[in-house]
Amino acid sequence: MISPLHIISIALGVAFALGFTKKLKSDIAGGIMLAAVGMLTFISAQWALAFYSGGQEVTQIYTAGFKPPFSINLQIGRAEAFIILMINFIGLLGGLYLFKTLVKQGRNAIAVYLILLMGLNVIVLTQDVFNLFVFLEVQSIATAGLIVLEKKNNSVSSGFKYMIATGIIAGFLLLGIVFGYYFSGSLNMQDFFTANMTATKGGAVAVFLILSAILLELKPFPANGWALDVYQSVKPGLSAMLSAASATAVLFVLAKIAPMGNAQSYHLFMILGVVTFVGSNLLGIKQKNAQRLLGYSSVGQIGLIVAIIGMSPMLGEKTTFIAITILLSHYLAKAGLFWLAGIIKAENIKDWSLLRKKPFLLVLFGTFVFTLIGFPPFPSFFGKWELIMQLSAGGQNIWIIAILAGSFFEGVYLFKWLGYAIKLDIPTHSENSKEEKNGILSSIDFKIELHKIIPVAIVGILTYLFGYYSSTFVEGGENMFKFFIPLFFLAVIFFLDFLPNRVLTAIAIIGMSYYGYSFLPALYETDLMRFIFGAIFIVGGILTLIAGFAYDGKRKGFHSAALIMFAGLGGIIQAETMLEFFFSWELMTLGSYILIIRGKRSMPHGYSYMLFSVGGAYLILAGFGFAFAQNGISLEAIKGLTVNAHLIYTILAIGFMTKTASLGLHIWLPGAHGEAESDVSPMVSAILLKAGVFGLVILFLAMGAEATTYESIFYVLGWLGAITALVGNVAASLQEDAKKLLAYSSIGQLGYILFGFAIMTQLGWLSGFTYSINHFLFKAVLFLTMGAVVLRVGTHKMYEMGGLIKKMPFAFIAVLIGIITLAGIPPLSGFAGKWLFYNAIIAKGWYFQGTVVFLAGTIAFLYCYRIIHSVFLGQLKDNHRNVKEISVWFIIPIYILIIGIMVFSAKPDLILQPIGDYITTYFPSNALKWTGTMASTDLGYWDGNWIMMIIGIMFALIFLWLYLLNRKATKVKQFNIVYSTERPFRPETTHVSYNMFAGYNKAMGLLVAPFITGFWNNVSEFVKGIADYTRKIYNGNGQTYALHIIMYMVVMYLMIFD
Amino acid sequence: MEIVIKLLYVLLGLFIILNFGMFMSVSMRKIVARIAGRNGVPFYQPWIDLTRLYATRDSISHGIMFYLGPVFRLSGGVGIFLFMPLIVGSQYFSNFSFAGDLILILYFQFFGMLGMALGASESGSPHSAIGVSRGLSQFTTVELPLTLAVISIAIQYNTLSISEIVNAQQGGIMNWTVFTNPFATGAAMLSLLGAFSHSPFNLIKAPNEIPIGPPTEYHSTFLGVLRTNAAILHVIEAVLFMNLFFGGATNWVELMIKSFLIYFTSVFVGVAFPRFKIEQSVQWFLKVPLLLGIIAVIIYS
Amino acid sequence: MKYFNIETIAIGTGFLLILLGIWAILTQKNLIKIVIGFSIFDVGLHTVLVSIAYIKERTAPILDEAVSPADAIKKIVDPVPQALVLTAIVIGLGVTALMLAYVLKMHKEKGTLEIRNFNDLKW
Repeated sequence: MISPLHIISIALGVAFALGFTKKLKSDIAGGIMLAAVGMLTFISAQWALAFYSGGQEVTQIYTAGFKPPFSINLQIGRAEAFIILMINFIGLLGGLYLFKTLVKQGRNAIAVYLILLMGLNVIVLTQDVFNLFVFLEVQSIATAGLIVLEKKNNSVSSGFKYMIATGIIAGFLLLGIVFGYYFSGSLNMQDFFTANMTATKGGAVAVFLILSAILLELKPFPANGWALDVYQSVKPGLSAMLSAASATAVLFVLAKIAPMGNAQSYHLFMILGVVTFVGSNLLGIKQKNAQRLLGYSSVGQIGLIVAIIGMSPMLGEKTTFIAITILLSHYLAKAGLFWLAGIIKAENIKDWSLLRKKPFLLVLFGTFVFTLIGFPPFPSFFGKWELIMQLSAGGQNIWIIAILAGSFFEGVYLFKWLGYAIKLDIPTHSENSKEEKNGILSSIDFKIELHKIIPVAIVGILTYLFGYYSSTFVEGGENMFKFFIPLFFLAVIFFLDFLPNRVLTAIAIIGMSYYGYSFLPALYETDLMRFIFGAIFIVGGILTLIAGFAYDGKRKGFHSAALIMFAGLGGIIQAETMLEFFFSWELMTLGSYILIIRGKRSMPHGYSYMLFSVGGAYLILAGFGFAFAQNGISLEAIKGLTVNAHLIYTILAIGFMTKTASLGLHIWLPGAHGEAESDVSPMVSAILLKAGVFGLVILFLAMGAEATTYESIFYVLGWLGAITALVGNVAASLQEDAKKLLAYSSIGQLGYILFGFAIMTQLGWLSGFTYSINHFLFKAVLFLTMGAVVLRVGTHKMYEMGGLIKKMPFAFIAVLIGIITLAGIPPLSGFAGKWLFYNAIIAKGWYFQGTVVFLAGTIAFLYCYRIIHSVFLGQLKDNHRNVKEISVWFIIPIYILIIGIMVFSAKPDLILQPIGDYITTYFPSNALKWTGTMASTDLGYWDGNWIMMIIGIMFALIFLWLYLLNRKATKVKQFNIVYSTERPFRPETTHVSYNMFAGYNKAMGLLVAPFITGFWNNVSEFVKGIADYTRKIYNGNGQTYALHIIMYMVVMYLMIFD
Repeated sequence: MEIVIKLLYVLLGLFIILNFGMFMSVSMRKIVARIAGRNGVPFYQPWIDLTRLYATRDSISHGIMFYLGPVFRLSGGVGIFLFMPLIVGSQYFSNFSFAGDLILILYFQFFGMLGMALGASESGSPHSAIGVSRGLSQFTTVELPLTLAVISIAIQYNTLSISEIVNAQQGGIMNWTVFTNPFATGAAMLSLLGAFSHSPFNLIKAPNEIPIGPPTEYHSTFLGVLRTNAAILHVIEAVLFMNLFFGGATNWVELMIKSFLIYFTSVFVGVAFPRFKIEQSVQWFLKVPLLLGIIAVIIYS
Repeated sequence: MKYFNIETIAIGTGFLLILLGIWAILTQKNLIKIVIGFSIFDVGLHTVLVSIAYIKERTAPILDEAVSPADAIKKIVDPVPQALVLTAIVIGLGVTALMLAYVLKMHKEKGTLEIRNFNDLKW
């Protein structure tokens, strides 16, 4: 085992030696540096491995032949070894990344780089406070030295601000150390800890100075303007080192010296850390400059870890896991992001669409963004989960809210950025390029340098590895392996992305089939409710994937994204612990986001979908946390809550309702579903929305059917569902865009479903299930058909279509059956839902809510008619005279679904009877009885099979009669109609479609005003306004930043000693 | 064997209803004409019309859906008839009401309407589409008071079965819903004005100006089918109201008298009031009729 | 006279210099003056360091003919801060030198020493 002392000797020795070798070529010097850093990494790796494999004791390394306190000693334990490995490893990758820059700057820069790393190593290892001060100064000076060697705009002035700030901080640190020495008689940390200095006022001031100085080194909001300027102005390679390596080292120092203080100082860390996390992420919202934005994010993440250190008394033994996972995520992702910034050299985040020129860079970018926010399968997901669980167990609800709010703000800007990268046009010229001055526009390109790409790729891969590794440490994550299996399959699909679409689609379908086969049959026996939702997810998924065969060529990323979503959907069905559920839930969100944003104009919609999803997910997380505190980790824990039950259930319900797009939380849906690709819309509308329904179903089951305790919540939800149905349907009727119409219709239908389940009786639940199954069937049919039509005619606007029945009879029949089911007209299965619903509301006594839902149902006729008339009937347009029937790849799944509708219509008892039996466990009153195909309740009766037969026979007879009388009818041309004594000649002037329900719009008045969109816009403007106003404190003046630091100390002092 | 007898009775019922419906329509035309100071058509006019329409040999078709439109429409009318019990206690004149209850009938109305709307749309005539869009708009709120009334009587009688509702009203005029639940009856009768689409709610067809509304393009046999349906539907809707609110009928004569009177309330209102614009009629049903419906539900809830 | 002993005066002067330095850093507009402020701040710190270690009527912790190793423990002041202050002075020197290098570069870049001309990065 090589002593860690050699880390110092190697770094220092090589750095000095480089100073004496004037003739040495600087690229050889660079090679030597890499070798040296490699050696450091090796030494630290060796120690880390020794500790990891066990048996290694904490080792003290004494210097100068004396024992402390008479000499400096270094200590290497499990934590130290791990941290220096992190530092040296990123030093190695960073050195590789910066290789050309350093070589260009010469041997001095190379030497300084080594010194920086050495300084960081020592501050981690040292047990001597003064030594700590010295090496903090060494690394500050080294950093400043590297900055001054830069030749970049503004880097020098920001380096100067950095020096002012760190100079002042170091001064206070020195003062604190001297006072500490005065009171403890030693410079050894252990003596500081045992001296109990906080007992006396003087000692307390010493401790205050030391701790606050270290805290200020960690750039707490708002005393961090200097750090932001540095992050923004220096070379991204250096920013990466500052954010990943330096911050890691100083964070460790804070954790190391924290025992100097008392409970109060931990509390203070927690407050200040959270304030930094929330504040910094809030201010990031208005930022446009990529590097500065990363700076904000960096500061925020560091604040979060400071807060975790402060929470360590509360979190107990979990602290290490939480801190390490979040630190690792920050470390890997931030290094990767800064390096990416250096590769593509686009300052404005809007120009990051450049990344699309190299798709694997885009994938890495997405990986880092999701890592930062804490999505599965990345380590931060497990860290945040555990953090929330433990905080909740400790009753720290305010901190949960604050941390989730901060995370949300972070999501606001990171997802905006990701959206820009995925969707904005690739910029074709830059303002400063020479070509521009000559009047020639040229596309910005960026060079791919291997030594820059490799480090990014390595940290990218590590995020996944550590993600899986982290999962094994979390309570409730013991059996997570099966949730990762689909992800391994996905990884294979991902690397096969170069294959043509049809091959990949076939592979995906096979994978999905196997996935479904692996768990669905077993569920049929054990848990019917889960089986039904599982079948909707998996069978629906396979059917919609079939439609993907219609696309020629390649569809980059489509299959991976779709499979991530379905893996998540399958996961929520199989989840047994809350962790597994939430893991799958977030996975599903991630996949669906990528799917949705693939649409041509769906960037803003994908963004708002993500914000609502993340917000909702955080509510669910908080709710799970509260449940965990009471009942443990199992998914059953949400049952039988005793403390704050109303609040927790409300939070969870709102969380799930962001996915079901209930009123108030629905504004993301129309755009997201309407603008998505043709086969994605049915996936996200017919299938994905049911995930929210599934969430509500398990929530409602947990709340308990019989308990009247939560009647008030259900009452509110019932009204909410009813009004959602009404508003969704009214809005759908007034759309001009066919897919938006269907999207709004989904909002309305989901309102029915929410209403049905909220009734909380057997009949209500049956109607909820019937609506859910029906909505899956007919919405998949409608969206698939309309999507296929859109692919043929090239427009979403209904008034630009018309008369397509002549060209696409199969599509027409599909839509006809779809809308008959939707409208609930007998004999198709939609009526089953309506009938159950009537019985349910009368039995329950929800007459007025029921009437509102009924009104919504009649309004549904308006859009049903509108879509079928405007698209398929009326006048065929001249430019559509040669369109063909929709693709056969769409027809296949559509007609399979139609068979489903027909079976469900003729034999509703096949599905409804077992469901009824299933829910009698929860709703013992067996209100619905079956005699053969006849269903009856106390109120009424209905026989789907008879109705189907009677109507079928009658229809056939009447048709035959008419045909008999009228078989010689002459077919006439399009314009052969009665038209105010004129003969029309243009379809555009004759086709009634645009603003079809003008009179209705007028009559509805206020009901159609976009209140809710306005409300959310105002909220967003308000938050942005605050962010924009507050960030003006960073006025760019070094003296102001110094003043911030001093005021920050004063405020902290007052908080402690006053 | 029994099913054959049953079918024969059903066909007999249908025949009676059809002819009675044509009689009602000609009565209406006479009344409107007399009020306008004209003499009006002879009483046998509908039968002549119908025969002539069915016998017309020339006809044109705009496509499959256009062809199916009248089929849907008539299926809708006949369907409601099939699911409606006509005479109290009669095994045979209860038709196929065992297959479904009141909800089935309320929703089966839409079957014909939708098919008709689609058929008319395929003709490509803007007048048809305009008529349909107006009709659907008006329909949304017309149904609202009726729904509340239905809920109210469902609570009152604790059943959704029409036969049981009728049975509950037997044994004296004071047992009729119109007396036991006047608010529900009021709401439903106002709703009925819209359902029959007479003035003031007849903008859908606007019968006095240019031909507008769903049937614009229909002629010959198609129109014959539609006329047939109109005759059946008018009677059967009146029968529905009779069953729900006016004690049902123990024999055919009672049925005819009651349904005639129910139908003619809307005719009389029609000749007395001018036509509403579509947004006016949509809003009209949201005022007094809706209020009555709400009161009816509140009383029984 | 109790309060006017040497260590009180020294420590008081030290804190005064620290405040003076901070005042200079926060208020002076000229970059050079700010660097000078830093130097004053450092000197103040060093003075405080030394004066904390001072024990009345003892001598510098240097072993020579005046102080033999045997009685050193009774005759010299606490040697640790003395050693620390040496290190701190060296570091202070390094920082000052680097800051001056910065000032030089900044002057080269914009031809001015006014700190308000270097506010390009903000928000």
